[in-house]
Amino acid sequence: MTTLSRRSPRIRRALLGATAAGAALTLAACGGNVGAAGGGEGADFPTGPVTISVGAEAGGSTDVIARAVAEGMAEDLGVAVPVVNRAGANGALATEEVAGKPADGYELVILNASLITITPLAVSEDEAVDIADLDVLKGLSQDDYVLIASPESGFETLDDLKDASGEIKYGTTGVGTGSQLAQAVLFKQAEIDGTAVPFDSGSPALTAVVGDQVQVATVQLGEAKPQIDAGNVVPLLAFSAERNQFLPDVPTAVEEGYDVPVSQYRAVAAPKGLPEDVKARLIESIDATIATDAYKEFNENNLFTPHEISGDEVTTEWTELGEKYRALTEEYDINLAEG
Amino acid sequence: MESLQNVLAGFAVVLEPTNLLYCLVGVVIGMLIGVLPGLGPAATIAILLPLTYGVEPVTAIIMLAGIFYGAQYGGTITSVLLRLPGEASSVVTVLDGHALARQGRAGTALGVAAVGSFIGGTVAIIGLTFLAPLVAGFALDFGPPEYAALALLGILLVSTIASGARVKALIAATIGLLLATVGRDAFTGAERFTFDNLSLADGIDFVPVAMGLFGLGEILYNLEERHRAVQAPGKVANAWPSRKDLRESSGAVTRGSVLGFFLGILPGGGATIASMAAYAAEKRRAKDPSRFGKGAIEGVAGPETANNAAATSSFIPLLTLGIPANATMALMFGALLIQGITPGPQLVTEHPELFWGVVNSMYIGNVLLLIMSIPLVGLFVRILRVRAAILAPVTALITMIGAFTINNSVFDVLLVVVFGAIGYLMKKFGFEPGPLVLAFVLGSLLEDSLRRSLLMFDGSAAGFFTRPISATLLVAFVVVAVLPLVRSVRGRRTAGSGSGSASGGSVQNREEESV
Repeated sequence: MTTLSRRSPRIRRALLGATAAGAALTLAACGGNVGAAGGGEGADFPTGPVTISVGAEAGGSTDVIARAVAEGMAEDLGVAVPVVNRAGANGALATEEVAGKPADGYELVILNASLITITPLAVSEDEAVDIADLDVLKGLSQDDYVLIASPESGFETLDDLKDASGEIKYGTTGVGTGSQLAQAVLFKQAEIDGTAVPFDSGSPALTAVVGDQVQVATVQLGEAKPQIDAGNVVPLLAFSAERNQFLPDVPTAVEEGYDVPVSQYRAVAAPKGLPEDVKARLIESIDATIATDAYKEFNENNLFTPHEISGDEVTTEWTELGEKYRALTEEYDINLAEG
Repeated sequence: MESLQNVLAGFAVVLEPTNLLYCLVGVVIGMLIGVLPGLGPAATIAILLPLTYGVEPVTAIIMLAGIFYGAQYGGTITSVLLRLPGEASSVVTVLDGHALARQGRAGTALGVAAVGSFIGGTVAIIGLTFLAPLVAGFALDFGPPEYAALALLGILLVSTIASGARVKALIAATIGLLLATVGRDAFTGAERFTFDNLSLADGIDFVPVAMGLFGLGEILYNLEERHRAVQAPGKVANAWPSRKDLRESSGAVTRGSVLGFFLGILPGGGATIASMAAYAAEKRRAKDPSRFGKGAIEGVAGPETANNAAATSSFIPLLTLGIPANATMALMFGALLIQGITPGPQLVTEHPELFWGVVNSMYIGNVLLLIMSIPLVGLFVRILRVRAAILAPVTALITMIGAFTINNSVFDVLLVVVFGAIGYLMKKFGFEPGPLVLAFVLGSLLEDSLRRSLLMFDGSAAGFFTRPISATLLVAFVVVAVLPLVRSVRGRRTAGSGSGSASGGSVQNREEESV
């Protein structure tokens, strides 16, 4: 394993933070938010730390992506790029908070596509996040959903599922998630009789399939892969538009004739109305980050497929996906909020 | 025997100076952040993760694991001294631990807790060494119906744990259950008591509730009763438990180790229920149960042993099944990924040096923690010599900062204040916060698991009895609920009967309502 040799300001500050904790128990005061940093040289922006908010707890996919991006941006921008976790309401809390901040480029947020495209189908309108409130800077990657079955269920292909007698219990990663939408639409399209069993997140849903508590579930590939490799779960289908590079032998739903392309996309966004030069500098810095070997290796290790499109393309793509999902749920009379 | 060779090779890995150093660094950081309420091991590991990029995978995980179990040691200190339980699994430690501290026996409480934690941790590591592959399946056999039955049993224990009036304990527990319903419904997306506030969408966090009710509530109450405020300067000299204390605790430590080890394997709620079960078991076994809540040493030894054993055994699902049991474990999962190692079912066979290195580092880490505890207990106990006029505002400040750091949310700080006021009123009117907090923690586990189970059973509650583990747990529930009743019929006890059946009844009602 190549060591990611660098001593970014962030690492040094983390070190200082740890020392401070030992000395005076002040780590709590710092939390995840590292203190003020020195100015950049030459350019006017940035002169202080650029904060990246994450609408999920430390440790999840969104969080690790934020930290990988922050690492690279800190290097490129020459200022600290602290990651602040502000979990709540599927990420709506952090996103709305950042959307309300001044558009000066010092506050960024990692967006989850599902928050924009799927969650509005499950929650009331005034709680849904509108992508128009944000300046999307850059698309990052795509994290594919895969339909898995427990070995005890005997399912090896989608056809087995269709031929199964009786009702199938399928685990989802929660209400208003891609996991729920993808399966609800697939089951309707393929005319499979099924009941959704929502879990709190991917890990308990996966555990439930490994333990044969539910016969199938749809979780993100990164979580499922070790269990697939060990033969503890059987992959039936990927919900990506094209075959996933890490699962070349598993067909996609689209190939099987079911029009449910659902993936989790992630992008970096800022409050609406950034000054052009600031925006350009931030995009340049993100571009520099995603071009590094360390970042590419990070994507590979976590089984994220790069989907590095421009901010405008993200807005268009996500808006179209949102409309598509709404049309699908209406066509098949699916109500994500009924559980 | 090949596996034994691997175990020994693992010790060779740990004894490399770099690994020993990182183990020490990990447990020291862990202990310190454990002392700070709020900033938990998960957040700390997230911040320190970049530090581990440059070292070997096994070294990285040794340090991160050290932070995790070190924090369990540290958490006891604030629970006992300042009545601030940082985690759900140390709530019951507060009950007798703080009572002991007020009697000037904080050193005894902390000493017993340290010894208990050491033994509980070590027993669990031995279990991890020899039983991990055998018991890992236990975590998989626990589906939603089993969790529902376990949560039911846990809620029943809440009424046992309370030391004051049973009726008041039940009222407090009911309020706790109601508070657990706040937030977006995880099954339908419907808003429940959120008042259109996004901060409430995920419900109320445990930490603001516990810190408000226990910590801030206590401070406010003490302000009123100034003369009785925390001040026991002369008596804190006995920083170490006597032989008698240790002898009295030995049974509790043994039982706590076993309970903690097995329940800790369950992702989600295992450690909390283990500590509660350990406390309840000690109270039931005691010749004079009325001592509990007033400073019974077994009331500290049992749960503290159990929660440390549980913290250690919670590594079993991660290391043997590749399933992260909680946020901290998820981060370690991530740390391994960064190092190019995918934690999964094959970890033990593909990277035995990593598996055994980490497991064996825990033996060393536990010894280090015990050694550190001895002087630190004496040091921390001196906090109690600080005058209340200074200690109270500092504690309040730490509480607020702690609440803020969990979600970087001012809303949580406001919640601490609100629950502080509620805690003060509860204390004033003779209600204990313990039942409320514990019922609150178990409430969402019960609701989610029950509804999930019913979806699996097509709405039929009979399904609970067709599965061996959930059926056994439900039988245990009935026995625990009915036993006091039978005893009272025999005329041996009359006091316990009413509440025993009442709690069973209330839980059953709840089940029917949800159906």
